[in-house]
Amino acid sequence: METLYSIIAAPFIDMVSDPIFFAEVVINGLLTGVMYSLVALGFVLIFKASGVFNFAQGAMVLFAALTLVGLLEHGVPVIPAVVIAATVMVLLAFLIEKFMLRHLINQEGIILFMATIGLNFLLEGVGQIAWGSNVKKLDVGIPDQSFEWGGILLNTFDIAAAVIAAILVTVLAIFFHKTKIGLALRAVADDHQAALSVGIPLRTIWIIVWSVSGIVALVAGIMWGTKSGVQFSLSLIALKALPVLILGGFTSVPGAIVGGLIIGMGEKVAEIYWGPLFGGAIENWFAYMLALVVLLFRPQGLFGERIIERV
Amino acid sequence: MFYRETGQFKTSYASDQAIFPIAQDRWFIALVFVVAFALVPFIANEYWLQAIIIPFLIFSLATIGLNLLTGYTGQLSLGTGAFMAVGAYATYKITTSFPDINILVVYLMSGLAAAAVGTLFGLPSLRIKGFYLAVATLAAQFFILWLFNKVGWFYNNNPSGSITAPPRTMFGIMISGPEATPMVRYYVSLIFLCVMGLAAKNLMRGRIGRSWMAIRDMDIAAELIGIEPLKTKLLAFAISSFYCGVAGALFIFAWLGSAETEAFDIFVSFQVLFMIIIGGLGSILGSILGAAFITLTPIFLTNFPPMIGLPIATDLSKHLEEIIFGALIVFFLIVEPLGLARLWQIIKEKLRLWPYPY
Amino acid sequence: MNAKIKKANGNAETMLSVEDVSLSFGGVQAIRNVSFDIKKGEIRAIIGPNGAGKTSMLNVINGFYHPQEGTITFKGNKRHDMRPHIAATQGIARTFQNVALFKGMTTLDNIMSGRALRMKANIFWQMLYFGPAQKEELEHREFVEKIIDFLEIEHIRRIPVGKLPYGLQKRVELGRALAMEPDLLLLDEPMAGMNTEEKEDMSRFILDVNEELGTTIALIEHDMGVVMDLSDRIVVLDYGRKIADGMPNQVRNNTEVIDAYLGVKHD
Repeated sequence: METLYSIIAAPFIDMVSDPIFFAEVVINGLLTGVMYSLVALGFVLIFKASGVFNFAQGAMVLFAALTLVGLLEHGVPVIPAVVIAATVMVLLAFLIEKFMLRHLINQEGIILFMATIGLNFLLEGVGQIAWGSNVKKLDVGIPDQSFEWGGILLNTFDIAAAVIAAILVTVLAIFFHKTKIGLALRAVADDHQAALSVGIPLRTIWIIVWSVSGIVALVAGIMWGTKSGVQFSLSLIALKALPVLILGGFTSVPGAIVGGLIIGMGEKVAEIYWGPLFGGAIENWFAYMLALVVLLFRPQGLFGERIIERV
Repeated sequence: MFYRETGQFKTSYASDQAIFPIAQDRWFIALVFVVAFALVPFIANEYWLQAIIIPFLIFSLATIGLNLLTGYTGQLSLGTGAFMAVGAYATYKITTSFPDINILVVYLMSGLAAAAVGTLFGLPSLRIKGFYLAVATLAAQFFILWLFNKVGWFYNNNPSGSITAPPRTMFGIMISGPEATPMVRYYVSLIFLCVMGLAAKNLMRGRIGRSWMAIRDMDIAAELIGIEPLKTKLLAFAISSFYCGVAGALFIFAWLGSAETEAFDIFVSFQVLFMIIIGGLGSILGSILGAAFITLTPIFLTNFPPMIGLPIATDLSKHLEEIIFGALIVFFLIVEPLGLARLWQIIKEKLRLWPYPY
Repeated sequence: MNAKIKKANGNAETMLSVEDVSLSFGGVQAIRNVSFDIKKGEIRAIIGPNGAGKTSMLNVINGFYHPQEGTITFKGNKRHDMRPHIAATQGIARTFQNVALFKGMTTLDNIMSGRALRMKANIFWQMLYFGPAQKEELEHREFVEKIIDFLEIEHIRRIPVGKLPYGLQKRVELGRALAMEPDLLLLDEPMAGMNTEEKEDMSRFILDVNEELGTTIALIEHDMGVVMDLSDRIVVLDYGRKIADGMPNQVRNNTEVIDAYLGVKHD
């Protein structure tokens, strides 16, 4: 009876009795969620435009961050370093298209997915050989100060992350819906062969998309790297992006944001208020369980399109 | 010209359905068995057995398990590590609570435990498909390991948090625990692999195997024939987890001797996934080849460069390993999505024609 | 011809009857108040211009779609909601416009999968193989070989179906449906994409199945020559409504039918 009470009632009472703290937890969760969204965004771009679930997104984040840190360590000033890192990501997109994507046109989704798993390990290995595998500190000059706002403890860095994410999303949304290229990207996502047959330059499109995604990965890498150091486990964030994508849908840019926010907030709240009851570390699996539960009710995720099977 | 089928006509359906319809294949397999049972344990040194051969056998078993689910039934699973963990921890609990039960029987019992858990996490597969289902298995992977970590009961509240294989004997021979010799453990793993591998092959040539492949290829059409998708998928999850569970039990009790939950983390799940990709989705032989490849390559990478006078730091070799794996996976998927097993088939076909070019 | 007239007017029992069925998807009404029956042992063609609702009709009979209104009576049992695998157990088999074969499996395995409902050996025997599982497997193999013989596809037994040309795939699909020993066989455009020779072969198979095995057949087909030759009775659909129902000659001369095909608009 007491256990039941402590699971169902006590946490809510805690939330209400200290609303400031609760607000803090929620806001911090949302801000972590923004970071997840940044990574998920990269996924959505590639999936939306090439139908590929890019498992290597996490490795791309790591690789971008490692490249940036490496440049900074060699004394390159911040702005040029970021530009060079972005260029490297574009170059990477070229290489990926040339050596991998081109040869897998029209293969089934699962084959492409597994190819990106291979790519993931490739990038991790190369990045770590090129720039070393110690944890690295990353500082691009984003202010990192705590301050109070209405009694709630916040951090300028987190706010900056939220703003950057908002800008990114807006830019991407415009790109997809208002430009010719955006239209072409959506066609490609639907059907490779059909897109080819109406003259859409498939390979160019892919290079564009993977480049954009690479740059998004760089942004995500900068954010995460500053917050928790650039290290191998960064690529595991990609796994967390899966529940985000399930909630937000695989092809929706705003969905990635919403999904990230929900997961980020959900995780934090669950960990703070229910975690102690179970010995802590619920964060490890909460996101996946949440996604699982959502899927049971809506197999296409919260924002995904209903899958209608025609025979 | 020695690998020809001429003159080998099948006069009954029974012989047509045989696993190795070509006589030369049968000889080859017989040879492999002789080598495996009579030769290897006597000429291989302890290091080879412990570091390479035993894990290869155990991973082969896990790989067959995953292949049944992902390769044959088309249900992507990233929870292999967790199902192996269930097998290992179940064995630990059962044998420490009931030390008199024969340890080999306990392995099978823990396989059943893993099967039950696998079925539970397979339930979502009725509504959820493809990548989405992978998330359900990820939930299993993270949740189960967290559970085994947090709840002391699973490791008998042992302060180190790890489980250790206690000494167990059968017919007076030490089968598990610190005293069990590599040779004995080799035989245990080998026998399990042979028996369960054969069972898997048999499953695949019959009604159940066909129903699994039907679900993989087009589950709507499968329903039309009268195959029930949920039952079939759950059976796949159950059997696959059974295999992974037994492999997990052997992992600790016949190989490592003791471990913590980290031994079964997400990286193990990926490792086994690579084995089925490289070895060949939907092939029992492929599972074994894939397991061989992935267990051997690290050893090769550590030992080969010094042999040719090029010492490589362990850190570097680990990253090199990653690069080579990654590149190989992409390479295989481009060139031969059906993996090593298909390559083997192509070799055999060429052999049939040899010495003629076509 | 006389035999056909006899079949149509005779006292053959009704295998399937569709009463007042309506089906809509969202705002689109695919089938409106359609009623017809299929007598045991006949070949019933369902024809009509594209989009008339023919495939949807088959899907309803099969249990893929559930009609909003109306009932279906099969072998005397009224049914309401049916799932495809229950349709299978009751004796309905089907082929599809876009061949629904298991592309990763061989011809032999595909047809053998049609015997799934009749194979009972449990999992332990399956793992062992020797014993009841093998016995069952060989029995059904013999049966399937007869079908393979009948359809003249021995030479492609072990070829993965995905590698076969379209015409052969359709034949294999027919084989799989036959393996189920159905009482009612639903064929959705079995001749689509075939040349004259292949059509003649397929027609011969369909006729043989009907005459030798006595299987009732419902057939969607666009080739009018084939329809007129093969079928005992025809139902014509247009925009989801039934506009004609009767023997080939009657239907052929029905002005509404001719108009529908020529695209003359009615309201």
